Formats: sequence, structure tokens, C-alpha cells
Amino acid sequence: MRLALGWFLLSTLFVSGYALSSETFSESLKITPLPDGRVSTTFSFNTVLEGASPRDPCSLTSQDASQHYILFPLTLGQILREYAVTELHLSLNAGSWNYERWGYPEEKGVGTGAELWAWMGVDESKSVDDRWKGLRNALAGLFCASLGSLDEQRTTSPDRVFFPQGRLPKWSGNVAHQLRHASLPSEHVCTENLTPFLKLLPCKSLSGIASLLNPHRVFDADWHGMGVHVLWLGEAGVQVRLTFQSVMDPLRSSRNFLRNWSLQSLFGHSIERNCPAASSSAIHVTFSSTENPTLTPQPQTRSSTEVRYDVLNVEKPLDIAMQWRDEFKYPSIFKSSLPISVTRNLRGFTQASGKLSLILKNHRSTPQQLIYLETMPWFIQFYLHTLHARIEGHIRDDIISDISYNAAVAHSRPTTFQAVLRLPPNSVTHLTMDLDKAFLRYTEHPPDAQRGWDLPPAVLIPLNFDPNDNNSSHILNESRLGEPIYTSTLLVDVATPDFSMPYNVIIFTCSLVAFIFGSVFNLLTRKFVVLHLDPNRQNN
Amino acid sequence: MPSPLPASLKDPSTLFYQSHAVKRSVITSYWIIILFSIPLWWYTTSIQRLSLPEARIYSYAQRHLKIPVEICVEDDGVAPKLQDIFASRLSHESERWGDVEPHFHGRSHCPDTPSYRVRNGPKPYVRENEIYLPLYDQHRLSSTFDVLADLINPCREATNHNNRVVQFSPQYRLAFTLLNEDAAMGSSVSNWDIQAGLADRIKPILNQLRPLHNFTIESQVQYHGRLAFSPQTNDESHGLTPEDLTVFINSAEWSLSSSASNDPVIHFVLFIPSTAHRPLHILTSGGNISPSKSFLLPQWGSITIHNPPIDDAGRNNDLASQINDQIFHEFSRQLLSLLGVPSLPNGVEHHASDSTILSRWQIDALKRRRAVENTKGAQETLMSIVRLVNQIDNMPVKDDVKGDVQGALDALEKTFSAKSLQDIFKSSAEATTLASRAFFNPGMLALLYFPAEHKYAVYTPLFASAVIPLFVAALKEIAAWRRERREGIERERQ
Repeated sequence: MRLALGWFLLSTLFVSGYALSSETFSESLKITPLPDGRVSTTFSFNTVLEGASPRDPCSLTSQDASQHYILFPLTLGQILREYAVTELHLSLNAGSWNYERWGYPEEKGVGTGAELWAWMGVDESKSVDDRWKGLRNALAGLFCASLGSLDEQRTTSPDRVFFPQGRLPKWSGNVAHQLRHASLPSEHVCTENLTPFLKLLPCKSLSGIASLLNPHRVFDADWHGMGVHVLWLGEAGVQVRLTFQSVMDPLRSSRNFLRNWSLQSLFGHSIERNCPAASSSAIHVTFSSTENPTLTPQPQTRSSTEVRYDVLNVEKPLDIAMQWRDEFKYPSIFKSSLPISVTRNLRGFTQASGKLSLILKNHRSTPQQLIYLETMPWFIQFYLHTLHARIEGHIRDDIISDISYNAAVAHSRPTTFQAVLRLPPNSVTHLTMDLDKAFLRYTEHPPDAQRGWDLPPAVLIPLNFDPNDNNSSHILNESRLGEPIYTSTLLVDVATPDFSMPYNVIIFTCSLVAFIFGSVFNLLTRKFVVLHLDPNRQNN
Repeated sequence: MPSPLPASLKDPSTLFYQSHAVKRSVITSYWIIILFSIPLWWYTTSIQRLSLPEARIYSYAQRHLKIPVEICVEDDGVAPKLQDIFASRLSHESERWGDVEPHFHGRSHCPDTPSYRVRNGPKPYVRENEIYLPLYDQHRLSSTFDVLADLINPCREATNHNNRVVQFSPQYRLAFTLLNEDAAMGSSVSNWDIQAGLADRIKPILNQLRPLHNFTIESQVQYHGRLAFSPQTNDESHGLTPEDLTVFINSAEWSLSSSASNDPVIHFVLFIPSTAHRPLHILTSGGNISPSKSFLLPQWGSITIHNPPIDDAGRNNDLASQINDQIFHEFSRQLLSLLGVPSLPNGVEHHASDSTILSRWQIDALKRRRAVENTKGAQETLMSIVRLVNQIDNMPVKDDVKGDVQGALDALEKTFSAKSLQDIFKSSAEATTLASRAFFNPGMLALLYFPAEHKYAVYTPLFASAVIPLFVAALKEIAAWRRERREGIERERQ
């Protein structure tokens, strides 16, 4: 009897084994009105492949097991398997995030243009660099972005700044992990990147929250960016998080200077139906507790600063609207929620040299430590001995410490500069460093060379203050890292040749060479003779 | 007589470099340098064009692969009769028997390792490499031969539409997709038992075909797959006309397979129509509902349509295991058809000790067919390479191309000399792979867009202006030298 029962249980387990889905999908949208009247929206689509683990790079030589997915994006999953990527972060952003007015973003990676970084296990059979190359080419094909140009000249490994956000598996044979990071600030983000992005979602843009992602509206936003994040959560499995952020301006189309918005006015759509694949689908709307806007329809859960709509159990179509009674008054001062603010410039007007300048303001009344990362293409060459930090015009040697510097190699490797900065309370620090702009080869210039080169943003990460240890800057662990702050990108003007005249140059040079050759040759072979003039005839 | 020079001036003819010898050596040294630098210039600016083994390619391209099949017949008397029937058939079916050559041997003349054995039996069935046929009925001997012929060399027309079979590749990717037209409308299929379906229906076939191809499998479930057209609506049902089937795949919106590798993909799609288009049927050209629920796109894959019952609550359910099995059975039939596996002739059964699906006869016939195709393909590709290289003077031929061509030729040689069918097949596959790799080598396109005219346009401004003084000086010196000689001779005469 017991045996029969056990057999029955076992067989039911076996039969319904596949029905118990090991993949979950959840989607959420967070809408936050910003102090400057704009509205920030963050879409987040989370797929978890439960119980899965990243591919062991040692198994790359043998054929991979078959991949069967229900919700997990197959095209992305195969790329991750093919190149044995443990953790991957790709962001494509347009515009520069205004930290002063908008505070920290929901998704941290907001550097202008494209940024890709990945943690990969090391194995002799296929080197990390080969797999990194394959990965960026595969992603370039998948997202229709120029990620293929994130080559060796842009790849760095700043492992003091980009810590793994998930966990790294411990494979047999003590496989180490390596970081590869590259950014392409001149990448433009547009519809051709959003379409493949939406194809990775189980419900595409046809149902659920993703149906709000209307390219006509989201690419009209003041700032917009998308991200793909793949992490290993340990036992819980592999997570793919697809994010889309935008900052929209309801005041732009408002006639009466009210900040009113609705899903319909922001995205041109309302949510018509549920995504059948989503296990949870939520819209969060936050607002500051001092203001009291009206929200329709009535939310299910409400706290003093946030309301939540459970989209799966709400009457459709769902069109959330927020309305204010009072006109919007533009604030004269923005109270920054960030501990520091930073301005980065490139000074100097010549095409041969210049000066990098950072102005760092510490808003807090406590000293602030931060990690400063600067990655530059090889043609920007730093003079490290000219790196000075000044406060009120006085050079201060105690501000910069723990410098790690990987010098550039011409035509191949970029510069990586990492340092720890210690800013005194309520101070303004000026950081300057001289640099040279190298002379590029004719073929190394990008199309439209006269526009100049976009330089990647610097990254600053405030370190949480550790009161127990005064000199703890050497211990850089993940727990001390705050949220990164990306500076704006820079545009550098390097010496550009006149591309329209190579043939003229050839002709000109050839003529000169021929002229010199002719004169020398003539001198060597000319016959000199003495002419005798008849003096009598001369007299006549 | 010219008056002597003043003492302050030097006679220029006494300067050392004004002597004829020095001047002439200056000019000749210029010319020597130019002559010596010409080979260097030629070497640095010419395109590397290694010579291809053309004679060998031509000789191999003319050879014809004929695969011998040794058949051992149980009875000594029947074998010559079968051979006679074959000889008579050969005369009016010469095209069919162009690539395969069966030899019938009696028991006493049997080779040590014959391909097949024919034994006597009341009902035809095959087991391993044996076939049981009624041998002693003289009137049925002709139909017995037909059964054998269909097994060894299935008629191309019988296996139908040659272009339906996918091009040969050593590796295929099988992409299975459960595609809901619109799962948000409810009553769709949220999951299927892909593992059971593969294990029961697909994997046994793949295991048997492993000597021919390697397979990788991937699968996914999609919740939204809009059609690019709207199907015909008749009252309660909806239909796909034969024209609709040709444009059924909406490749712009459905990502049916990953692009992780360059292997050819064979697609298998289970399409679940939305409740608005349900039930969806395939229509015949006359407009009637066809009993078939699936169709095949040549060389692309197959599509099966399943109309699940409409759930009152509008939920999405998993696929019932019985239907799951039916669908994977359909997929397995389509897979065989796409890979060109011939079916057994009518009335012949397959008896196997284990539960293998394909008999050895079918796999062998497929191997023979693929070997012949591959050999022809490799020969044609090699000839195309030779023609192309001869036609375009600026096309570089580098070591890798030459190596691939050599490798393809070596593999062809092995194909022609190999004895066992597996060896013939293996080397023919290698030959066609290497030949097409050589043909598609990206290095052959490098200089097509930089013709020789550009080179001359760059060189003439330099060469014309520099070489003219050299020529003039050389001609002048030669003229002076000849005049001197003539004067010398005249002086001697005087």
C-alpha cells in the first residue's frame, strides 16, 4: 500500500515535472515626478532561470547541452552559453543624466552612449579576450549597435570599480574570473536598438507593461536609456534584467503649467491587457510627502510616498493619471541628494596638448572618500606628474592616494587611471592634469573626423564612511561602494588631415621629389666648358 | 687657337668629375639602381596569386563516383538472374543507376564482407543488413528485384522534390518553437513537454543519423507571434490557402532561432492560433479543408498547427501529453523528410531486435545519396574556383585557399579509392566542406576594389618627371660616345 502510494506520488511528480515552470518572469514600472517638473520612468523586466548556473569555461571545448527555454530569451541565452559569460551588463543611453536635479537613477549605468562590461571565467582553451571579442560582436548583431567597435583600443579592466553584482561560481580547478569593460560614448540609441530589445521579452510589446514602450514617445524623451543585466544569483539561478529608463517632460506639452501626466500622455498607450507570462506585474508611483497630487484610479496599496498598482488584478484598460492642483513653480535652488557633485572639462585650445580639469564639490559636513576612474583612448596621454589637487588655490597632497595607472600603448591599449580621493568637508576641489593629444594615422580617424572624438565618461564612486577605521582606503570591498556617478562625456579635437586631398598631396610630393632629383642629376652629369668670347667682336 | 685661361680660373675640364668616365658611371649607376629595384617594386606591389593545381582539378572533376554494392544471395541460381534483370533495367534506367552499381553474388562466390544478404522468406522484411524475400517464385523475381532496387537506390522522384531536402552540412541546429499567435487572449498553450517529445520521438532518429550529421537542439516558447496576413474566414472556421502558406513565416517579428553559430538551422514550429482565428485549417487549392495539420517549407523546416479547445475561463494550459506526443511524431516525420531519409518500399517491414526506427538499408541509401551529392558539389565548386580565378586577374589566391583546394582534392581522391560506404561518405563530406570554404574565403575579395589603374595614377607623376632626364642624359651620352668612336676611327685612318 505504502509502495503504491509512493509510486503514485513519484509518477505524478514525473508527469507534472515540466509543468512546474522553473522560469519566472516579473515586470515592473516605477514612475517618479522629479523636482524640475519632469517625470522619470523606469521599466524593469526580470526573468529568472531557476537552478541554472553559468557555463564553466572549461567545458567550452565540448559541445554544450541543449537549451530549452520558456520565458528566458533564447537568443541572449545562447550568446551567454557560447562565450561562457558569468555576468554581463550592457547599457545604451542617450543624453547625459543630470544628477544635480534628478538625483541617483533607478538603474545605475547611465553613462552616455554604450557601455558593456562582463565577468568571465579564465580558461586556457579559449582566452577571455577571444570570448570578449566574440561576445561584443554577437551583442552588436543582436542589438543592432556598433558594439563591435569596442575593440582592444577601448577595452579596460577596472576591477576596483566594477565589482560583480551577482555571485561568481566556484568551479572545480579554481577558475579565476576576469573583468572586461569598454564604453563607446558616440553610440546613438534609437528605434533599431529598441526593436531587438523588445523581442527578448516574453510578451514583446504586445501585452502587459511592455506595451507602453512606444518608440515614438520614449525616444522623444529628454533622456532615455536601455540596459541588459545578466547575473548569477547562486542557488536561485541566472537572472536577466532588461531595463528601460526615460525622463520625460509633461510641462513641455502642458498649456496651464501643471505637471499633470497619465500613461496615455506619456506613452501614447494605456495598458489594455495582461502579459500571460508575468507572475507579477506592478506599477509603482512615488511622490514627495509634502505635495498631495491626486491619482486615478485608486491604487491598491498606498504609503506616504509611494503607491502600488497590481496590474494583473486591475480593471483594464489601465491608464494611471496624476494631477496637481497648483501650478508648477520652478525651484530656484536644487537641493542635491548626492554627497558630491562633479564637473569635468577639457581645457586648452591647441590640437597638440590640453588639460583635464575636474571640479569636485563635497556637500556634506563630513569628509568624503571616493574612487575616481578615468579610462581614455590611447591618443589622450596623461602626464601623471602634473596631477594636482587644489583647494582655494593651494596644492594639497593629501587628497589623492592609492593611484593605479595603466599607461596607454599607442595604437592598441587605452589608459586606465584609478585613484582614491579624500575630499574635506564642504569643500571645492580642483583636480588638473596635463595631457597630450597624439597624432592619429590617416586610417584611424572616424567618419566625420572634423567633429572630434567623444571621450568616455569618468566614474566616481563615493565610499561609505567607515568610522572604525581612519585609514581604510586600502580595503576596497564591495560593501563600501556607494552608487556610481558618471560624468558627462567630453569631445576632443585632434589634428585632422584634409581627407579630400590625398591625390593632390601625392602629386605635390612627387613634383617636389622629381624637381630635386632633376637638379641633382643635372649637376652630376652636366658638362662645364670655358667659353671664349672674341674680344674684337665684343668691342664692335 | 683659344687663348689660355687667366691664372685665377681653373679649367673645368681638369675637374675630376668632369671626366667622361665619372660622368658615365654616374649615369649607369642610376640605371643599375633602377633596374635592380624593379623586381623589389614588383614584389611589394603585386598580389599573391599562388597557382592552383588546375590539371589535377580538371582530372578529378571529370571522374564519376560509382558506389559498388555487394549483395550476397542465399541461392546460387537466383543471383545471376537478378544480375540479368539489373542489366536489362540499366539500359532504360541509365540515369537512375548512374551512381550506384549493385553486384549480385551467389552464396558460393560471396565476398567476405558483403554489404547485404538476401534470404528467402514468405513476406518481405529487413533486419540489420539482411532482407527476407520470396526468392524461388520465378514469376515474382522481377518485383523482388524492384524491392531491392528501391531499397538500395530509392528513386529520386519517389522521395519527391529534391529541393525539399536541406543542403548537406556536417552540423545542423534544430530549433523547436512553441508559437502562440496571441497568448494574451487566453486559451493558449503556455508550455509543452519538450524533453519527453525529444526523448521519445526525435533523439532516437538523431542517434541513428549520427554517422552523417551532428545536431544541436534548442527550444523556446513564444507568447506573441502575429501573422503578417489575415487568414480566410468561413463561418466558424479559418483557413490558410496554399498562397498563405508560402508567406506564413513572419520573420521580421518572430525570432525563431538563435544566431549563436553559422550552422544551418532546421525549424520546427508548433503554431497555436489565437482564439480569434480558431479553428485554423489548411485549405487545399480547391478551397476545401485539408486533413493535414502540418506543412513543410522546403529546406527551412516544418510548421504544425494545433487548435486547442477554447477554455471557458480563458486560461492558458500546458499541452496534453497525448497531443504533445502526436505533435513530436509529426515533427519526426518532417525531420526525416527534410533530411532526405528514404522510406521503406511498400510492403517491406522493419524488424529490429532493439527499437530502432530506421533500418540500416535506409541509412545506407541516404549515405550513398549524400556521398554522390557531395562529390558532385565539391567537383563543381573546385571548377568554379578555377574559372573565377582565371577570369579575374586581381583576385588574390593565398596559402589558405590553396591549402583548402589541395585538401578538397585529397579528400576527393580518398572518396574515389575508399572501399567502405562510411569512408566514401566521410571523405566526400570533407571534400565539399573544404571546397566551399575555399570558395567563400574572404581573402579572395581583398583587392577587387583597388584596380591597377589606381596604382598607375599614383606612380606616373613621380616616374614621368624623374625618368625623362635620365633617358635624355643616357641618350646624349650614348650619342657622344658614338661620335667619339667615329672620330677616333677617322683619326686612326688619317
